[in-house]
Amino acid sequence: MKVRMLATRVALPVLAIAAVSAQARAADFDWMKFKGKTVTFLANNNPVSQALLTYKADFEKLTGMTLKVDGYQEQQMRQRLVTVMNANSDEVDVFMTLPSREGEQFAAAGWYGDLTAMAKNEVAKDYDPAGLSQALLKAATFGGKLTSMPMNIEGPIFYYRTDIFKKCGLEAPKTIKDVEAAAEKIKTCDSTVTPFVSRGLKPAIAYTFSNMLHNIGGTYIASGKSSLCSAKGKEALDTYSRLLRDFGPPGVVNYSFQQISALYRGGRAAMAFESSNELRTVMEGGARLKDTGLLPFPAGEAGQVPTTIGWGMAVSSHSKQPDAAWYFVQWATSPEVQKKMALQGIAPPRPSVAKDPEYRKWIDEEPVRKEWQAALDVLATKGSSEVGYPIVANPQSREFIGQAVQDLILKQKTVDQACADADKALDALIALN
Amino acid sequence: MSDTAATLTQDRQKLEMAALSAPAVIFTVAMIAFPVVYTIWLGFQTFSSTGKQSFAGLANYTKLISDVEFWHGLWITIALFVLSLVLQLVFGVWLALVLFHAKRLPGIVRSLFISPFMMPPVVAGMMWLVILDPSLGAANYILQSLGLPPSDWMASPTWVIPTVALIDSWQWTPYVTLIVLGGLQSLPPSVYEAAQIDGASAFKTFQRITLPLLLPTIVTAAILRSVDLLRFFDIIYITTQGGPGNASNTLNIYGFRVGFEFFNIGYASALMLTLTAIVFGAVLAFNRLRGAVAW
Repeated sequence: MKVRMLATRVALPVLAIAAVSAQARAADFDWMKFKGKTVTFLANNNPVSQALLTYKADFEKLTGMTLKVDGYQEQQMRQRLVTVMNANSDEVDVFMTLPSREGEQFAAAGWYGDLTAMAKNEVAKDYDPAGLSQALLKAATFGGKLTSMPMNIEGPIFYYRTDIFKKCGLEAPKTIKDVEAAAEKIKTCDSTVTPFVSRGLKPAIAYTFSNMLHNIGGTYIASGKSSLCSAKGKEALDTYSRLLRDFGPPGVVNYSFQQISALYRGGRAAMAFESSNELRTVMEGGARLKDTGLLPFPAGEAGQVPTTIGWGMAVSSHSKQPDAAWYFVQWATSPEVQKKMALQGIAPPRPSVAKDPEYRKWIDEEPVRKEWQAALDVLATKGSSEVGYPIVANPQSREFIGQAVQDLILKQKTVDQACADADKALDALIALN
Repeated sequence: MSDTAATLTQDRQKLEMAALSAPAVIFTVAMIAFPVVYTIWLGFQTFSSTGKQSFAGLANYTKLISDVEFWHGLWITIALFVLSLVLQLVFGVWLALVLFHAKRLPGIVRSLFISPFMMPPVVAGMMWLVILDPSLGAANYILQSLGLPPSDWMASPTWVIPTVALIDSWQWTPYVTLIVLGGLQSLPPSVYEAAQIDGASAFKTFQRITLPLLLPTIVTAAILRSVDLLRFFDIIYITTQGGPGNASNTLNIYGFRVGFEFFNIGYASALMLTLTAIVFGAVLAFNRLRGAVAW
């Protein structure tokens, strides 16, 4: 009791002082502190960075800094990052990262600067770090260090054609079994469309497959071993590959988001399981605006456990000016900028932005946007950021998951052979962790 | 001027020339030597997936021997190399003969024939990816319009390598054509006049005169294409990324993924040095062949 009282007597004043001093620091915060400096940003040229960089001039005006953007496609960006970081070079100050994919690896390699103190002490009055998705902040924390700040929230969601469903007498699917039954019916009811499409390209499969595995109740690792050969693992492998093999488009093994969006947007697929980020692309031209329904992926035996991830902004541990770099990260993840990005279709990682009247007005303009936001709300509350194995060699683990699924789509192995081969390779990776 | 004075002036000129060209020579040698030496050094290192580095001796090279993916990649590389090279040499020589004899062909048509190799491989890859898409592409539409069955093209483990070889041949056959066309224009007309007097048929003239005289040029084209074909990367990277499964995972693609996606730079360096040795071996073999067929 005495210890508790002492702790209370000491801790409360300390917390109060800390809160007061943080407020004082926020009041002292000066956006022009690093005027004249140049911050280099290594960006993945995707819709998230494209939306952000629309406001590049605003950042430069606000801070007096120059923002140098080094933009590449995703894989090329990582290739450049690996080269720069292995050379211990300071040419990159801020880079985009996917904590769910490379977080463990980059953190273990010491490539992330620690943002914990800066996110607490070096913030503008209206930054509100607590307003960011706590799940995403947690996913970006490794060994107690905050390594990146979330830029968006995303995950695979289920797009379906309401007109085709109506024509074929189908209801919106509630379970994975309903999806398969709907695909079967659409195959005979409307032979002009592909009943179901999702990712079949080897390195891309883990993104959508993980959602199915978790909905079915499977896990990647059980008792320290890879568990694709567990009953649930095999069920997930079998179901995912069967949906693509029996109801997917020819050549689905080369399909990633570009091909899926093109197929669905062109009216040639009845159901698509693809990223929430693709809404803008899918709706381009307006052809799918009135005949698309959106849902989180239907439930399996374990209910709905959607995959929820987000791009983050990290400060390089080799940066010579981490404080100036942090100012850019802070501006890019501030409520004001994230609201502007949200109005361009980038789902905000801040619940407060999602409730903003201007954003709500944009959402309410189209029923499909309402369904998109509703699906994102489920992702935010129920989501798991586990895409592939939660190990340092996560990118490599995705290869073996993809290989097992492709072997089944192409009928090159039985489920037992495919999962056993994958488990063997994955156990070796887990052992290296 | 005495002999001694002239010698001194010559020596001074030589020294001045050496001094002036030294920076360029040093820069060039350094630019070639540094990456090679650095890669050799990396090949003796091991990098954990967290980036920790340590000396590995020959471990990366002994790992190659038992690595199924390495042997598979080597097989795919060789299959793609042989198939593409044969296609490009056969069609390159044929197209060169057509262009050589079609004297009245407008310049624009000739330019069109040889234009594909001026296209960046990334653009060519993207273009063919769209054309050959089994669902959305024009290729299957044309096949079906002609009453032929559609193909899975690059989505089929069986057809991916022939399809990639066809794409590369579409792009690089004109390059072989240009080289062979240059060779054809330099052949001595007197030999053809003699053959004409002797009453040799067109086929016999080609078989007994044109082809033997063109062989050194064809081997030169083969050397130039071999270097590229053994390092095959861009079109596969754009279209299949080594898939479906590992069906188009060439050594170069495998090395890239090991290095830049799985961060095992040491093993990737060993893979790439092995590939470099294979390229050197092929070039040396073709060079010897070139010496044997020279006239």
